[in-house]
Amino acid sequence: MTAMPDVLEHVEQAQAHELDQPYLLIIWNDPVNLMSYVSYVFRSYFGYPEAKAEKLMMQVHQEGRSVVATGNREKIEADVSAMHGFGLWATLSKADAA
Amino acid sequence: MARAFKSTLRGISASLEAAERKLLRGLFQDVITLLEPERAADEDPLWAMVGLDPHAHRADFAPPSDPATKRLLPDADPDDAAASLEFRRLSERGIRERKIGALREAALLMESGTILLSDETAPRFAAAVNDVRLVLAQRLGLATEEDAERIHAQDDWSKAETVDEYLALVYNFVTWLQESLMQAMLKSL
Repeated sequence: MTAMPDVLEHVEQAQAHELDQPYLLIIWNDPVNLMSYVSYVFRSYFGYPEAKAEKLMMQVHQEGRSVVATGNREKIEADVSAMHGFGLWATLSKADAA
Repeated sequence: MARAFKSTLRGISASLEAAERKLLRGLFQDVITLLEPERAADEDPLWAMVGLDPHAHRADFAPPSDPATKRLLPDADPDDAAASLEFRRLSERGIRERKIGALREAALLMESGTILLSDETAPRFAAAVNDVRLVLAQRLGLATEEDAERIHAQDDWSKAETVDEYLALVYNFVTWLQESLMQAMLKSL
């Protein structure tokens, strides 16, 4: 496989710029997911200590949403996919837009 | 009468009556049916193995139309429909396959009266039970904390007359089971 070097370089620069943008993983409150389940997911998937997981879970419950992780687009997309796998209502957002 | 999940030396375990297991197996199957993508008979099984969808690049590829399926597979970026659709093209099939795998495993566990979960199977079983609750909640129109309290207050099987009253009792049973499972799982973290 081959590509014109000048074109390839241009694309890579554009992607690198995109990846630098920090993204947010947001978990939204819903009346179905159990508080114990949400805490468990925050502890087991993100490796958060119990106190941090409980604090984020209570923020989701009381304020309707919480930013539970940040990172580049690729990482946050993987997190959203994992959260949907667990059945949590997760979305992503650009840090400056949230 | 069911015995709730408890942390034991051999793993996390519960015991369920035959009728309860039959009910749960049916619920796991229902959610599998919701999540199974419509698949052409001649589709290369490699697509499913790698979690990609051969139809995902088509112009008519769209979010699920059924609200319960949509709740299981929500939009990744509600402010950007195009980005949400692109996310679906790349990851929806994989999420469906993972969920279906966990639900099939959960349905198989209903073969025995004693449900014994290892540290590895417990999170998948919890996710399968959670997906069942999300679908039941959607069918019940459970949208607010008040709805949740109203449904939670129904506890008398002898008084259930309508489909919704019966569904509410089923929902409460599955909720009770998941809560006991989560307490046991949190203890062994």
